[in-house]
Order: sequence, then structure tokens, then C-alpha cells
Amino acid sequence: MLCWEYPPRIIGGLARHVEGLSRALASLGHEVHVITLDFPGAPYEERRGSLYIHRVPVSVPAPSFHSWVLLFNHFFEKRAGQLAHEFGAPDVFHIHDWLTVPAGVTAKHLLRTPLVMTFHSTEASRSSNSVSTESAMVEGLEWWGSFEAARVIAVSGWMKSEVLTRLKTPEEKVEQIPNAVEPLKFEGRLDAKATRARWNVREGQKMITAVGRLTPQKGFDDLIRAYPAIRRAVPESRLVIVGEGHMRAELESIAEQEHVRDFTTFAGFINDSELVAGLRSSDVVVVPSRFEPFGIIALEAMAAGVPLVVSRVGGLAEIVEDSVDGIEVEPNNPSAIAAATVRILSDRELASRLATRGEEKAKTYSWENVARRTIGVYQDAARWTKYE
Amino acid sequence: MCTKMRRDGPSMNEGPKILLSALMVLGAQSPEKALPIDELATKLGMGVPELQRELDKLTEAGYAVTTRQEGRAKVYLTGTGVITASSAYS
Repeated sequence: MLCWEYPPRIIGGLARHVEGLSRALASLGHEVHVITLDFPGAPYEERRGSLYIHRVPVSVPAPSFHSWVLLFNHFFEKRAGQLAHEFGAPDVFHIHDWLTVPAGVTAKHLLRTPLVMTFHSTEASRSSNSVSTESAMVEGLEWWGSFEAARVIAVSGWMKSEVLTRLKTPEEKVEQIPNAVEPLKFEGRLDAKATRARWNVREGQKMITAVGRLTPQKGFDDLIRAYPAIRRAVPESRLVIVGEGHMRAELESIAEQEHVRDFTTFAGFINDSELVAGLRSSDVVVVPSRFEPFGIIALEAMAAGVPLVVSRVGGLAEIVEDSVDGIEVEPNNPSAIAAATVRILSDRELASRLATRGEEKAKTYSWENVARRTIGVYQDAARWTKYE
Repeated sequence: MCTKMRRDGPSMNEGPKILLSALMVLGAQSPEKALPIDELATKLGMGVPELQRELDKLTEAGYAVTTRQEGRAKVYLTGTGVITASSAYS
């Protein structure tokens, strides 16, 4: 499996997906090798049973992000070649999004191995249909990957429709397999008081949590703009924004402008166990994204037994059933975010009902199911790939 | 450097953002791979004092560490810096 992020290098949902899938495949008895980028403090080589993580340094400097991507693909190819000599050629190569298309396609042809590609997002949706030369390159790689792959996986119905309409991938080639959550992570002892205290949430205060990359796509600026209205209705509350990203300074500035900076915690980047504790300690989780191909954080909040407010976009609208296991709001609408959040915080019975139904739903999204379905896709890819 | 971000909407000032991306693609991700600040200034076409001001913002935010090695001022990204630099493209 080739992916540019793998824990502890967690940029977005890809890392969580590849971690969950690779662990589940290994626990089903398969030998899984993940080739990914190195990360400060993480070992270059790691093994957990039949799961091997190979973290590759990029030894050559690049002049730009896009040429750097091509360079790290070269180092991924080199590592894939070394592993093929050491362990034998793999039965399948699995790439995730455009970032590893060049390495995946090269490995496919050199080692005569079937290729599978998962789409977690597309450039057109990420960049709001930008016409830049960089976007043209990324879209070209997306098409190329979907063309070279024997089978393509889309993480939601929305994502599948994007792949079919924008990339013109034949429908019979595309399988929809969702993300999942590991429910066991959300069980066990929880020191909610300590978790809340770490983020300056005082006893008796309601904790409103949002998690994700601090980028425009995530809509955290809308949530901060909604927070003054939430505070008017629920003064004893604190907003906790978890994650890092290039928009942090801007978000802090918006919080200042809205006069809620003193009531907002920017928790920064946290590890997985801190995230689980943070979600479980929350009174409501808000996912105000402007677009979201899947939205794994919604599933994680459900698994944590916390009521949810989500934007009615992409995969989020597929996961959440409005007023049944969460509340949906229109994207880009701080007033709607505020109204839905206040509704949950002021109605204990509603909050409890949404949380219970959400927890039940999260249990139906297991990594073992995802792994079993992905193995079926691998088997199809092997059948459909013929080298004479 | 050609590291212009291209996402719409509000974002960090271009200076620190470009610098973060540059440090990542130049491979400055650990103390052993720290880049001399004077060399970085030349690569970016900036004066050292101007670059130092931008680096101060990154170190204050926890995204980078400046250090002295073999008598030279150097800089490298922290894990949080790597994630923040990557987030512009994910």
C-alpha cells in the first residue's frame, strides 16, 4: 500500500483509513507492507505482526511541492523494488489519491502486479474547480491512476459520482467502500475531567468540539462566527478546535474579531488517544465542512457517543440521518450552525437520543468489513489484470 | 521557489506559508537535516534579517526550530510544522 501519510504523520483522513485498513488486513492473516513518508521521531521501519510500515526519507531537495511529490514517488518506487526482492512481488499494489499515482503505475508495470486505487477526494472539489497549472497536473494524475488501476474504490456515494462524472471511469470498475472506526478505541476508562481541564474547559461548562485540518475546506471560520450566538444562549461553554493547518493564525484572528478568543481553545495537533479522550469528553461535536468526501470524524464522534452537528455535504450527508443520529445544517451558514448546536446543548433528551443512535450506527462501520470487501476488490483486480 | 499556495479562502499570510512549504520540500525535517539560514535566504531570494523575522513566527507557533550547529544558524521543521505545511495540499 502506498500513501503519503500514515500515523503519526496524520494530515487528514487518508492516514486513518490506511492505518485501519492495513491493520484489519493484517489481522485477517494477510502480509501488508505500507510505504509512506518519514516523519520526525517515527522509526523508518516498523513491524506489527504481518503489518510492515516502511517510512521513506526523500533524500533530494525539490524546488516546489509538486516536483517534491514526483521525487518522493521515485523513492517509493525504489523501496517497492527493494521489498519485491526481499519478500517477493506483492499480489496487489494499492494507492490512495493522486499523490502516489506515479509510483503505483510504475510498480504495476515493472512487477506485473495488479493496481487498485482509492479516491478519498478529487482535485476539482478540493480546489473549487481551480484552473491552475498545478490543478491540471493533479487532475491528470487522478485520471491516469483511475485508468491504470484495474479497480477503483470510492469512499462514499458522492465520491463515486465524482469519479464517474469527472474522470469518466467505467462504472463497473468502481466499488464504493466506506471508511470505518475502531469501536474498541472508544471504550475503557476515561478521565474526562482531566481532558477538559487540559483544554481549559471548566467544570459545568459545555464543551463544543471541532476536529480537522485548519483549512478553508473545514469551515471552522463559520463555526467561530457562529460561536457568539451559541454563547448568548449557552454562556457556560467553551469551543475547542483540534488540529493544525495553515489557517490557524487566521482562525485565531477571527476569534479575536468575534470577541470569543478568550473562550476558544486551539488544541493543535494531538495524538490518537488524546483525540479519543477529547471526543468522549465533548458535549457536542460540530463538523462545519464546506465539502467532505467522507468525513471520518463524524463516525468517530458517533462511536464516542457524542451528538453531532454536520454540514449537509458530500459523504457527511450519507453518514448522518438528519434529526435521527445527528443534525444536518446547510454549509457556509453560521446562523444554522449556531441554532443546531444550541438545540443539542439545551435539550438533554435530544442530545442523548442522537448520541445513542449514532453509537449504534458507528458499530456498523467496521474495519474488518472494509478489509473483507477490499480483499474482494483485490481479487477482482487480479482476475482482470492479464500480462501475456 | 515556486511554492505558491492556491487554495481559496482565508489563510495564513503568504510569507510563513511559503516558508513552511519550502522547508518541507527542501527536506529540513530533523536536526540532522537542518538548513543553514544564510543558504536558505539565498535560495529564497530573501535577506537574512527578513528571513529571520519569518522564521521567528514559525518557531513561535511551534512549527520550526532554529539551532546553532558548527557555528552556523540552522532551521528545521517540527512534526507539527510538517503537518501544517502538508495541510495546504490535502
